[in-house]
Amino acid sequence: MQDLTQLLLNGLSTGAVYALFALGYTLVFSVLGVINFAHGAVFTLGAYFTYFLIGGAAGANGLLAGLQLPFALPFWLALPLAGLGAAAVALLIERTAFAPLRQRNADPLLALITSLGAGVVLVNLIQLLVGAESYAIPTGALAGLPAAVRIGGAQVRSVQLLLLLVAAVLLTLLTLWIDGTRSGKGLRAVSEDPTTARLLGIPSDRMIQIAFGLSGFLAGIAGGLVGLSVSIAGPYFGIGYGLKGLGVLVLGGLGSVPGAVLGGLIIGLAEACVPADLSGYRDVVAYGFLFVVLLVRPQGLLGRVLPSKV
Amino acid sequence: MDALLIDASLLQQMLIGALLGISVYLPLRCGQLSLATPGFYAIGGTLAALLSTRVDALGGAEPVYPLSSVLLEMLLAAALAGGLAVGIGRVVLRLRGVYLAIATIALVEILRVTTLNQESLGGAVGIFGIPQPFLDPQGYALFTLIALALVCWLCDRLERQRLGRAMEAIRDDELAAACQGIDTDRTKLVAFVLSAVVAAITGVISAHFLNSWNARLGNFDASITTLAFVVFGGSRTWAGPVIGGLTLTALPELLRPIGDLRLIVFGLVILVGPLLLPQGLITPERLRLIRGLLHRGAKP
Amino acid sequence: MVPPRPPRPVQPQRLALAALALLAAGGVVSSCSRQRGDQLRLGAGIALTGNAGLLGQDARTGLDLAQGHYADRAPGLELQLEDTGSDEAGATVAFRRLINAKPVAILGPSLSQQGFAVMPMADRAGIPVIGVSTTAEGIPQIGPFVARVASPVTVVAPLSLAKAVQLHPGIQRVAVFFAQDDAFCTSETQIFQRAIRAKGLELVAVQRTSVSDTDFHIPITNVLRSRPQLVVISALVSDGGNLVRQLRELGYSGPIVAGNGLNTPNIYPVCQRHCDGLMITQAYNPKLDNASNRTLLAGFRRGRAADAVPPQVTAQAFTAYQVVHEALATLKGSLPQGTTLTSLPLPELRQRLLKTLLAGTYQTPLGQLRFTPEGDVLQRDFSVARVQMNPDGRSGRFVQLP
Repeated sequence: MQDLTQLLLNGLSTGAVYALFALGYTLVFSVLGVINFAHGAVFTLGAYFTYFLIGGAAGANGLLAGLQLPFALPFWLALPLAGLGAAAVALLIERTAFAPLRQRNADPLLALITSLGAGVVLVNLIQLLVGAESYAIPTGALAGLPAAVRIGGAQVRSVQLLLLLVAAVLLTLLTLWIDGTRSGKGLRAVSEDPTTARLLGIPSDRMIQIAFGLSGFLAGIAGGLVGLSVSIAGPYFGIGYGLKGLGVLVLGGLGSVPGAVLGGLIIGLAEACVPADLSGYRDVVAYGFLFVVLLVRPQGLLGRVLPSKV
Repeated sequence: MDALLIDASLLQQMLIGALLGISVYLPLRCGQLSLATPGFYAIGGTLAALLSTRVDALGGAEPVYPLSSVLLEMLLAAALAGGLAVGIGRVVLRLRGVYLAIATIALVEILRVTTLNQESLGGAVGIFGIPQPFLDPQGYALFTLIALALVCWLCDRLERQRLGRAMEAIRDDELAAACQGIDTDRTKLVAFVLSAVVAAITGVISAHFLNSWNARLGNFDASITTLAFVVFGGSRTWAGPVIGGLTLTALPELLRPIGDLRLIVFGLVILVGPLLLPQGLITPERLRLIRGLLHRGAKP
Repeated sequence: MVPPRPPRPVQPQRLALAALALLAAGGVVSSCSRQRGDQLRLGAGIALTGNAGLLGQDARTGLDLAQGHYADRAPGLELQLEDTGSDEAGATVAFRRLINAKPVAILGPSLSQQGFAVMPMADRAGIPVIGVSTTAEGIPQIGPFVARVASPVTVVAPLSLAKAVQLHPGIQRVAVFFAQDDAFCTSETQIFQRAIRAKGLELVAVQRTSVSDTDFHIPITNVLRSRPQLVVISALVSDGGNLVRQLRELGYSGPIVAGNGLNTPNIYPVCQRHCDGLMITQAYNPKLDNASNRTLLAGFRRGRAADAVPPQVTAQAFTAYQVVHEALATLKGSLPQGTTLTSLPLPELRQRLLKTLLAGTYQTPLGQLRFTPEGDVLQRDFSVARVQMNPDGRSGRFVQLP
């Protein structure tokens, strides 16, 4: 029983991170039909923003050596602000890497490349400015909370529970927004059929920007939380999540918000189930799912079947 | 030697880049974005590393590794990669657009992690001390140049023949091409297999050149870099990925004195390239222009 | 795919011209750096960027201090530093440049994983290459020109294990974590595991991780199920630091022995107050009283706190430079009157440097050093240290255990 609980807790913790990450991917895909390869970089940026907002100082390498903000915010305030910063960057990426191609009616393949270029520039800019060393958010940020909690005989770190909680809250809010508000419904309309949506007076450009902004906000928050849980291992620490996020995206169904969450949790649980002596293969789980789903059911679990237009 | 703009080992890296660019370009010619090139590159490299270090009969203990063994390795790598490509291609080429791209990314990652975990394939630490067929970079550069020239010549012939035009037709409109009687499945498969073979052969050369090999050499980063060669250089003719591969490999090295800035510049090239040059640097029209200029120059 | 509209013809040509101009400029700049002066050149390939960047930065400090100290002592040495990055590809590129620069010897690379890849290159070129922090088994055996000043893991690792068992009698169950994708960590863990079995202890878990991992809750919960009384870790800074922190957070309170990969103050920001109690063997004891250590400490403390302690790899880098310089000075002294070192043909100079170097005895910040004929170092003095964190959880020190 203890083993099963531990497995469940482990899987849910990992899955929550993947789900948060994939939410951003799926939002952009739902309105543009392309994958934003710079998403991992925005995630990383969120972690760095959080670090500086809580008063962290830049290391001795990089152009901004020793930089430290003149104030130090508590973690619960720094996190959403970092999310906003990440959202701003995501909007910038939309303007530079996606919008010009859309205006020229260019091949969607090219957007894949430009977003990748944007990601590479961002990540290396971070390295240039603050160096490649590890930054850790002081564990005291969660002042007062015990380091780990026992649930049913199994151990889980408090920060992982926090991640789970935040993911759940954000998901609920997002779903409410998409189903309940006008702009949310506009987003759904654009994702189903941009032309008709435009004919109905929905500003598709604005919707795309909203989607990017939201995805940036989610990525930033996810980055900050993951940075708290494990340290920020360097500017490249978001790349691995970026690749696995693709697996989550495809499993859940491209463009589906509940699908992203379901996909994240499933892959998280599957990774937790990998036996200890095969632990080197844990990374393969996400890619294995990706591959199998693409061949057997490309639209994923909750995605729509897209008819190929003649 | 000191006064050379580009030294022999940089030239060698550039030529490898050009070959990998061609490998990515071939499926793209059919409109298929396959990022599987680093996977087949890794297969070729691992095979060469294993054979030359574990199979004594090939002459690994001699001071200069025999060229015939290298050619044998290339043959075997081509056969292995080609065979795998046929099997994988049948399954994966049904997918379109970004789905195919993601599937090939997943394949490359699965291959990388499997190699990482299998001691027999070098494991996590990799294979060191790979025998050298050439004692200096000049030898490698010449050998690779000949290989590149052969591959380019083959591509040029391909573009003029029926197969090449069929590929172009599929890229422009797959359904219409099928209606015109082109066997789209077979054409796409041929392109995929050729791409795998070129990548594997390049892997063999690389393994010897780099002297050591490990699973990290065939990873997602490499997928993106090689794709950038084609996007930048041009995706419509074989000259495009060659120029793209040569330039984009040389650029970060020659700009090295500027330090970390070089990776940012590289990223900017990938970000801005498709905006300024959607068809890449070398388009068929420009190639014809260059050819015309060369011919005019040759005439008395 | 619909072919997009062709671009305007003017811009791409300008772009191409700019690219060509950049290439030309870059080529001129890079070829300028290859001029050979009449000084002897010492190459150094160190990881200044990437995962191992901090290790390299610390080594660079040592090299700079040594260069400053020996600047006005004959023979004159010009130091050429190249960044190897943290992977084999970067090391290969850096070492090619260094070899082309025709040095009399090369120091580095930083990681054993890189060492196996690039030291054969220098060896083939007949250039003495001296490892500063490459401690895996098999490094000096790569070739006759390969040596190192960093004590091998076979000697260093068992010491911390022995100390842990001595301080906590009654330990029976031991768990091991190691990063499987690093040559040094896989080498070190073999030594640890051998030593554990030799002591008659029970190895209850062997868990593989990766140097790029940061989230260990799954491997840790797996291992804690077997209730270990001692944990031994072979990893690098980022992954190892996170592993230690998460082990403590998930409730493990027993002793932890760490390998050389975590032997640096750079772990403080990663595991913070959880670093406390970590036991690691030290090849460098700052309290050692000899002339070169005094020089090192004086130089290191300029601009830093009066009791600042140089990291182990800083001392090792300083030692490497010192050893090369002293060997060259000895060689110079043995030459007939009137001949200078630079007048010797380079291959002969390198051969003789190698012979002189391996034959010498040196008083270095690491204590007294000699070399085996194969190029491995024989160091006399070692100690085991325990990390003691300050109450703020941000800084700490390595306290030598008696």
